[in-house]
Amino acid sequence: MAGADLGESSSKKKKGGGVKKPKRIGFKLDMTPLVDVAFLLLTFFMFATTMAQPQIMEMQVPPDITTPVEVAQSDLFTLYVSNKEHLFYNTGIDPIMRKIDIKDLQALAVQKNAERENDLITSLKVDPAASYATVVDILDELNLAEGELVDSYKEKNLKRERRFAITPITEEDKAELAKVDI
Amino acid sequence: MGAHKPKRIGFKLDMTPLVDVAFLLLTFFMFTAKFKSEAESEQKFQIKRPVASPDTAKLPERGIALVKIGIDEKGDTLTYFAVISEKDRRSIYTAQGVDPAEANNAQVTVRDTVTLANLVLQTRRTNPKIKFMIDADKRVRYGRIEQVMNTFRSQGATLFNFVTVNRSQQG
Repeated sequence: MAGADLGESSSKKKKGGGVKKPKRIGFKLDMTPLVDVAFLLLTFFMFATTMAQPQIMEMQVPPDITTPVEVAQSDLFTLYVSNKEHLFYNTGIDPIMRKIDIKDLQALAVQKNAERENDLITSLKVDPAASYATVVDILDELNLAEGELVDSYKEKNLKRERRFAITPITEEDKAELAKVDI
Repeated sequence: MGAHKPKRIGFKLDMTPLVDVAFLLLTFFMFTAKFKSEAESEQKFQIKRPVASPDTAKLPERGIALVKIGIDEKGDTLTYFAVISEKDRRSIYTAQGVDPAEANNAQVTVRDTVTLANLVLQTRRTNPKIKFMIDADKRVRYGRIEQVMNTFRSQGATLFNFVTVNRSQQG
């Protein structure tokens, strides 16, 4: 449009300048350098951009109150992470520590919770020498199990109340772990 | 065949649609590009975040306080405290134990648990809406995380988040 207007106006001003008119009609611009720069910038931004936006995992710790809360031993489901990054579990009724793979934890947590409905208290005890990645893996598995449980409770019209805590590992726990973790 | 040859010599291609698409993509990537934050360029390490299922929420852009625990190239574990909230940052970094030379930086070095406790308390006093995040490298020992968690707990910050990265986008 702009090019055509310009052509008309210039032709009106200069009546003898009809030589320039044919050039404007079939107006062609060499876009190669423009495309070069555009693609250069495009590739730069494509490589510079990070699509993976970090996400967050919510965690709650009990407030700093020193009064201990009494819980039934039969409600306990404890997970232990040894200093060799191995996962063990036991329950209040069955204190023998059993080894389990992290990828099987989701199924186990669902099963254990289904047995005792909302009463089960899951606690996680981690050796300070274990790596943070292992802890996040376990929390992730438990969160997945939680999602599954919430869905199954909804079908039964029940309200799911999660009872989970990260508890400090004791020396006795460490000694017990050392016996089974070879 | 010979009739086609002269056409090829003065070969011209209409690049307009190509340019249209290229610019469209260019603007898209320009607007979505997120560059290293001020805080990230100050620190000496890059955090390799642990992976988690894509089920959880996204990291908020502001109104958060991050406790960064990373491992530098020498293998030392370093802790930083970064407040991502322009208006609250200055007053939070006046907390006891913070190196005054760092008070104008985007993030401050945390040397001990007492300093961290002071910072957490100062953050809660300045703006109680600020959410706490633990952004730790996946290779960090759990003992470190436990220390930070205990500090949070002692200062009444019982609700916080772990920063993770989506399993499918891990790269």
